[in-house]
This record gives sequence, structure tokens and C-alpha cells, in this order.
Amino acid sequence: MPTVPILMPQLGESIAEATIIRLGISVGDSVRTDQEIIEVETNKAVMGVTTLCDGVVSEIRALEGVSYSVGTLLGLLDVTEDEIARTGVDTLESLEAKRTAGSHSSNPAQAEANLHFALDDDAYEEAPAVVPSVKGLPVPTGTMGAHYISPRMRARMDDLGIREADISAIAGTGAGGRVTVEDLERFLNYLEAWPNTHASPMRLAVADAMRRSWTRPLATVGLPVNLDRVLNHRRDHSPKPGLTLYLLRAFALALTENPTTAGYLIGDKVVHPRSFDIGVAVQVEDGVVVPVVRKVDQKSLRDLISEYDDLVDRARRRRLTEDDCRGGIATVTNFGTFGLTTGTPIPLPNETLILGIGAGIKKPVWSKEAEVFLPATVADLLLTFDHRVVDGGGAGVLLNRVSALLQTPKAL
Amino acid sequence: MQPFADGVVMNHDFLRSVFHSMLKARILENKLSSLYKAGKIVGGVYLGRGQEAVSATLGTALIQGTDFFAPLIRDQAGRTAFGEPLIDCTRTYLGSALGPMRGRDGNIHRGRPEMGMPAMISHLGAQVPVVAGMLFAKRLQGTLNGRVGATCIGDGATSTGAFHEGLNLAAVEHLPMVVIVGNNQFAYSTPNHRQFACADLVEKARGYGVGGFSVDGTDLLACASVISEAVRRAREGGGPQLVVARLLRLSGHGEHDDGSYVPTEIKSGHYGRDCVEVAMRQLVENGIATVDEILAWQDQFAEEVQRAVAQAQQEAPPDPYQEDWTALSTRFPIPQTCAAQ
Amino acid sequence: MSVTYIDAIREAQEKLLREDPRVFLYGQDIATFGGAFKATKGLAEQFPGRVFDAPISEDAMIGLAVGAAIEGMRPIVEMQFADFSSLAFNQLVNQAATHFYRTGMPIPITVRLPSGGTPGSGPFHSQSMEGIYAQYPGLVVLTPATVSDAYHMLIDGVALDDPVIFCEHKFLYRWLKAQSINGDHLPIGQARIIRPGKHATVVAYSAMVHEAVRAADRLQQDGWEIEVVDLRSVKPLDLDTILASVARTGRLLAVGEAFPWGGVTAEVVSRVCEEGFHLLDAPPQRLNARDTPVPYHPKLWAAHRPTPESICEALRKLLTF
Repeated sequence: MPTVPILMPQLGESIAEATIIRLGISVGDSVRTDQEIIEVETNKAVMGVTTLCDGVVSEIRALEGVSYSVGTLLGLLDVTEDEIARTGVDTLESLEAKRTAGSHSSNPAQAEANLHFALDDDAYEEAPAVVPSVKGLPVPTGTMGAHYISPRMRARMDDLGIREADISAIAGTGAGGRVTVEDLERFLNYLEAWPNTHASPMRLAVADAMRRSWTRPLATVGLPVNLDRVLNHRRDHSPKPGLTLYLLRAFALALTENPTTAGYLIGDKVVHPRSFDIGVAVQVEDGVVVPVVRKVDQKSLRDLISEYDDLVDRARRRRLTEDDCRGGIATVTNFGTFGLTTGTPIPLPNETLILGIGAGIKKPVWSKEAEVFLPATVADLLLTFDHRVVDGGGAGVLLNRVSALLQTPKAL
Repeated sequence: MQPFADGVVMNHDFLRSVFHSMLKARILENKLSSLYKAGKIVGGVYLGRGQEAVSATLGTALIQGTDFFAPLIRDQAGRTAFGEPLIDCTRTYLGSALGPMRGRDGNIHRGRPEMGMPAMISHLGAQVPVVAGMLFAKRLQGTLNGRVGATCIGDGATSTGAFHEGLNLAAVEHLPMVVIVGNNQFAYSTPNHRQFACADLVEKARGYGVGGFSVDGTDLLACASVISEAVRRAREGGGPQLVVARLLRLSGHGEHDDGSYVPTEIKSGHYGRDCVEVAMRQLVENGIATVDEILAWQDQFAEEVQRAVAQAQQEAPPDPYQEDWTALSTRFPIPQTCAAQ
Repeated sequence: MSVTYIDAIREAQEKLLREDPRVFLYGQDIATFGGAFKATKGLAEQFPGRVFDAPISEDAMIGLAVGAAIEGMRPIVEMQFADFSSLAFNQLVNQAATHFYRTGMPIPITVRLPSGGTPGSGPFHSQSMEGIYAQYPGLVVLTPATVSDAYHMLIDGVALDDPVIFCEHKFLYRWLKAQSINGDHLPIGQARIIRPGKHATVVAYSAMVHEAVRAADRLQQDGWEIEVVDLRSVKPLDLDTILASVARTGRLLAVGEAFPWGGVTAEVVSRVCEEGFHLLDAPPQRLNARDTPVPYHPKLWAAHRPTPESICEALRKLLTF
């Protein structure tokens, strides 16, 4: 025999629950259509819960004196098929079918369709107050001139795959010297007449990293360093460590003594190194890659040789994995290998420091002891730093320490 | 139909017809209450219990297809008498997509304006000028003769500006209109003495320059006599008529309300009597119907009501994904060519 | 020979009464007297039994119109002043506006609102109510700015099956003249570019269209070319025309005579931000009346509403952003 549920009705527009005052029925009782079987009390009134068909009480789930929310199953009736057809009431099965048809149907329309008469409507929970996550809009409302890119300009640049750095060549004619869409189109039109090629993915990657890095105030300091002791040490060493490796090791040791200089500023936080992992810039075809040598402070020069050689070799063959290039705290670059004596290296966008070295040149160096000029191999040692994090003083201490460490290569 | 064919002899057919609507409405409303208390109706249920004699008499005195009837909250009996099918009621209360309001409005906020029965809004008194406008249209169309428009309000609505403006306007336009005030002594919970300060609401008729009638709303024979007369006068060119029926609401404002604020003396007083029971006695005592007939009608109407409920309960609710979410009948944009003509 | 804005409204009503037997006019002092602004002058004599003086019952006037519309008529109700339509608010927004959605039967009434300020009219004879009515679903809200639109849009509005709030500007009544009711006749719901330009778009409606055009004339002397969009109908809102204009200019100023909190200009700006953010070179701007009741004294009144000067100032700010 079909089962018909007795539910707690919605007794008033703002009523969420009601208390049972008296259960007028017991299991086994016969009930008639429209009989008031349960007496309930809301904060507005005392009222009866009715049945909508004839039947026999098969189960009572409610207790007197207890409050139940609207829609709660209070009990069950056994009802004949004929009676169900006569009255059109929903059985437990048909209600469940309607409900599951709603909730499991792939058709969201069906799911929503029963919404207002659903058996298991949950009560609404009060939402927690929203805590504003920013103090104001992250919009540079005061920005004027070429630095301001309007939503319209931004949309056009996105269409064309053009970045802010790309429009630096355009003289703006807009308000406050801004570059307008018309300026951009004119410039692109002008460039049409020039020969062009597609930039390689490697080129674009370097361009992107450099563009991002260049958004910070970067400063470069330098001093000459005598390389003779390193070169002598290297000559006698087998296998021969590269010059860059000496630099790498000296840089790591100097950083362990001054770790805050490698801190990375983000918002109002300085993030400090977890491990002295240092990258090495390797020139490859149409770009630069920076594999990272791990825990440089904890390994001797000798131990580092094979790891270093392997990374450089794989870098040149373009066989580095993403992991090989991840997690560095600073980078070393030896542009001396290109015969250059000086330069301004640019740190990676996620690093604060880059240490560079130029080509060693024989120079007369004044010897205090001998009081004569003596020949020495001297190179420019350069440190570029994010001036938001490090100042000239801190950079000087670090650079002098690297220079000093290079005078005692055995200790490396 | 006239209740007293020659002014004296009772028109049995009229009274039996009024009683049918009273009884049918009572049975239907008891069912609505039951559906509400079983959790099948969301929103609210508003009953006309105790006001059936007034409402059904008006509905019976009006002619569907000719007259206009703007029912209000307690006019199930009048709606039935005027010709609204039971299924309109059950579909609207149970949220069937097939009802006249298609789930867009509920309970007593239903109507069929195309058959002369506009759908009420909740704002009291607002239907008074609408009925006036319907009649005004017929005057302009040259088909007003013999037509009546009627609406019902409660004692509370007589305090609104809309009632005042509407009745005054109807009087100014001298429209064939009947406004019945069912003074059931409580506007929700507010008693008469907090609602108006005149001795009797019918005094207002004189102020508006309209006909005024008072009637005991619990007495079918009195209602039949007075309301029919008011309708007749309006129909025959006497201008607006105001009928104040004294009675008591025999339920709460809605079924969420137990009306416990109504003092026992009032409940057990003259107007606390049940107009349906009074009507039964009157029919039997005057030889208009027999007890057996009445019992048979009861069974017949209960079955009709049960069928209308069973049908509406199993009909699909409105589908929010299929709903035409537009409040305008015009589809914009309008093509340029249309406007050029 | 020239035609004023109020002539056009009268002509339109005459044509409607002549050609459509369903049309009748209902309003205070509109019959023999011809209306407070003479918008119905002579019509009662010309069309006996079609033009009626109403009691001072704004709520019942609209209620009557709704009832008449249910029974097949096309009433045109004149509110003596737009300000007084607040007394008819219930019948307008709850009865007329909800009727089609609730019952499926549309209510073809047209309610004429003599709107906007004129010098000396004060707080209760100067209001612009279009934003309030546009907020409610189920109403069409029209704001003609030209003589020709006043004529055609009233005729087209009465032809719509939906309730129409027809906001006619009192300042334009006699001030605005045209050679004739010309043939530029756009459908309701379509905006018009009344003046082309390329540096900024001003979206305006009703009397503010003319103030915007004056402002554009002044800025032209400095080399700025301002495009002016006349909304014509604030609901429905022709977002396509607005966006197309902003796409050309990259800058938007929305000007309205109504109070500044919310309303038509806020709607225009928010829709453009929603759907046309990528078109913008500068934050879109709004210019409305001040957030006080409309003052009586002409000097205060002139500074309360947007003027060519204040529009120019807003535009200069926008153009140099």
C-alpha cells in the first residue's frame, strides 16, 4: 500500500518552525480527509496540521513539546491507491521521485522546477559579514601620462598581443601625453614598411622576464677584482672548475653571512631565502637560460664541478627541465666570456640580486709592499640589486666580501 | 435574476443559486485551509468564511458576460457565483502553470479580466476606480446600458485614499456601480473604532452623493433583498450604490492567523453566527430547499472540490528556465519599417 | 510658420482622436479649458464626449484608465504636472505595470507627464520622474527632445499595447520650435545621434539634449568634436547606439535633469561599464541635478540643473583625463 507523508506545513509567511502541542493520533488510527491530526503552535497562532486523504497512521516520528522546521516528516500514513487517485496527494515515493528527478536530472530546468514545493528545502543560513580585502580600488587613478593605459587601449593591446614595454617607442598625443589607440595604430602602420620576423618563443620568454624585472628600481654597483689567485688555483686543479663556479661559490658564502640582502619584497613583506640555491646565466641560441645550482653554500668547489658542468651542458642542448630553473635566490652571470669588461646585469623578476663579472684584463696594479706597479689580471665585479630591498651600503658589504673570498680560492 | 419577483414573493431559483455558491465556496475554502495545514500551499490562504451570503448574493445578482465584478480577498463565494471555475482557484493556490496567473501571482490575486473579472492587487481600494474605468469604457463605446460593475472591500479599505478617490470619481461620472463594504469589524486585527469615527460607514454614501444601504450580512434573505436592490438601482441608472454589510470574519485574517484578538462576546454575538447555517435554516423553513437536497449538494460540491484539488496538485509548476521573463507585451527593438508607416 | 513642441503634442492627440475611436483624453482642466499648458486646446469642442475633466484624484484617474484599457480603450491621461504622478504611483506601478505579466492582458494607457523645470516653478512643479518609472518592470518610458519626436512618439506610444509614461518637457513646450514635423521618424526604443563627434559622447534625453548640443557648440571652438546621443526612450534603453558611439569616442558623459541618486544616467554608465569597459579611455561621468529639491528662485534653479556651462566643465575634465 502506498505511503503518504505527514509534513510540518508553512504556517505563515515568515514561519520557519512550529512546536507540537498535541499529537491527536497513534499508530494504527484511521484518519479521514481534512482531519486535524496534530496541534502545533507558531509564534503567531495555534493551529492544526491536516491530512489530505483517508488512511491509517503507520508511523509517528514527532514528539509533543518539540519544535520542527517547516517540511519535516512528522509521520506516515498507509493510503489505498484509489484514495490517492481520488485526492491527488503525493506519496512518499512520488515526492521522492519528483525530488530526485529534480536533483539528479541533467536538465537544470527540471532541477529548478520543483524548487518552491520541494520537500527538503533547506533553511537559509545567514551569510557572514564580508570583510573588504582591499582598502581601495587597485586602480592608479592619479596616474597620468604614458603610464596610464585606458581599458580601451588595454583591450586593443591585448588584441594585438602588445605589452606596455612595446609602446614605449610611441609618443602619445592623448590627454597628459597618453598613448591612444590611434597613436598605436599609426605606429604599427609606420612599422609595416620595415622588414620583420617572428620572435622565437625563447626570445619572447626573455623579453617577458626582463620587462617584468624592469618595473623595479634597479641599481648597479661594482669594483675591480684581482683574479690571479683564482686563475692560479684553477690552473693546478683537475678537473678544472669554470671561473663562474668560483664566483658562484664565493657569492653563496657571502650571502650566508648577509642573507637579508637576498630578501624579496612583496607587498609589506620581505621573503627570505630558504636555501642558498643560485642560478647561472647561460647564453643559448636567441636567449638566456638560468639553471639553478642547489645548496651552493654547503658544497665544496670540487663537489660542485660535475653538477655545474651537467647543468650548463644541458642548458646549451636545451634539455633543462622546469625544475632545473626554479627556486633560485640570486643569479651569477659571466659576460666576460663575450670579451666584455663591464655591463649592468638585470636580475630575474623573482630575484633581488644578480652578480656579474667582466673579462679579466692585465693591468698594472700598485703594490704597497714593493712600492711598484705589478701586472695583475683584473676584472669588473658588478652587483645589480632591487633598491627597494638593498641599499648601496649593503650591496658594498656583499660585493667586498665576494671579492675577498676570491682571494682565498683554496677555501672555496 | 431578482430575488423577489414582484417585490414580495421569493424567487426560489435565485436563493438556491446563491446558496449553491455559498456552500461550494465554504467547502472549497475548508479544503484550502486543509491544504495549507498540510504544507501544500505556500504564501497564504485567505478565507471568506462568514461573508459568503454577501459575496454570493452580489455574484449571483451580476450577469457574467455583461457585468463587471472585481472581487477582493474574501470573495470566493462571489467569484463562484459570478462564474469563476473552481480549477482557477485551486490552480492559483497550488501554483499550477496552467492557472490563469501561471504561478506569476497566487491565492486570491487572480482574475480573468477578459471575462469582466479583473485580478485584484493587494493595495486596498485600488479596484474601485478600475471598475469605474471598465464602465466608463462601455459608456464611450455606447454599450453601457443595462450593465453594472461591482467590487467588494472591507471596513479597513474605507480608510484608503483609493476608495475615496474611486467612489467620488464614480459618483462624478454617475457610473452604474455597486461597492459593497463587508464590515467584518476587524481589518486584520484592528477593530472598527481604530479605523473610522463615524457611527456607521453607510453615512459616507451621503457624502459621496451615492445610494446607501445597510444590511445584516449574516442573513441570506436580507442580503438577497438589499444587495439585489442596490444592483437593480445601479443598473437602472441610479448611479453608484454603497452597501454596508455588517458581519464577522469567522476565521483569521489568513490561515496563519487564529484571530485570537477577536473578543468572545463578539464571536458569540449576533454577527458571530454562521451565515451558511442561517441560510440553510432559511431555505428549509421557507420551503426553498429540503434537508436532503442540501446534504446531496454538500456531497456533490465536496466531490467537485476534491476533483479540482486533485487535478491542480498533479499539474506541473512553472519552469523558471522556460519562463518568459518580460513584463512588456511589446518586443523591442521595433523594426524601423514599422515605425515609418 | 513654425511648430512648437506643445503644438506637436496637441496635433498628435488630435490625430489620435480623429483616427482611433479607442482613444479618449482624461485629465484635470483639459476639456473646455484646454489644459494647464493648452496641450488639449480646442479638442473637447472638436471631439465631443472624448475629452474629460477629471476630479483631482490622480490615483483614481489612472485606475479609471486601467479599467477602460481592460475594456478595449486607449486612454491618454494628462497629469497636470509630472510631480503629481506620485499620487498615482500605486495604480501606475502596481496595477498598470504588473497587469500584463500577471494576467497576460496588456494595459495600453498613455500617461503624459509635463516634466522638468522652468524658472520659478519650485519644488513641486519641476520634477523629472522618468528614472522612478523606468525602475519598475512593465512600463515604457519615453522622453522626447524634439518637436518631431514629441509628435511621432506620442502617436507611436499610444499604439503600443503596454503602459507608456510620456515625459514631455515643460521648458521645451514653447521654447522649442521647428519648421515642421519632419519625416525623421525612428521607432520607439531607438536612440538618435543628434550630433556626430569623435572625442567624447554625451548621452542625454529630453531638454538636456539641447543643453548638451549647446555645450558641444562651445567646445567645437576649441577643436573638440562632441557626439550627442538623444536617448528618446529611456526604457527600453538603446544600448547598441550608446556603445557604438562610445566605441568611436572612448569617453562618456551621461546628462540628466533628474536627481543624482541612481536613475537614468546611472543606468547608462553602469551598462556601458558592464558591456563596453574595453571601449573606455576615461572613467565614464554623470551629470545630474543637485541632490536637493528643485529650488524656486530662477538663479538657484539655473544652478540646480545641468547647464551648457556645467556640461562643458564636465566634458573638459573628461577630455583631459
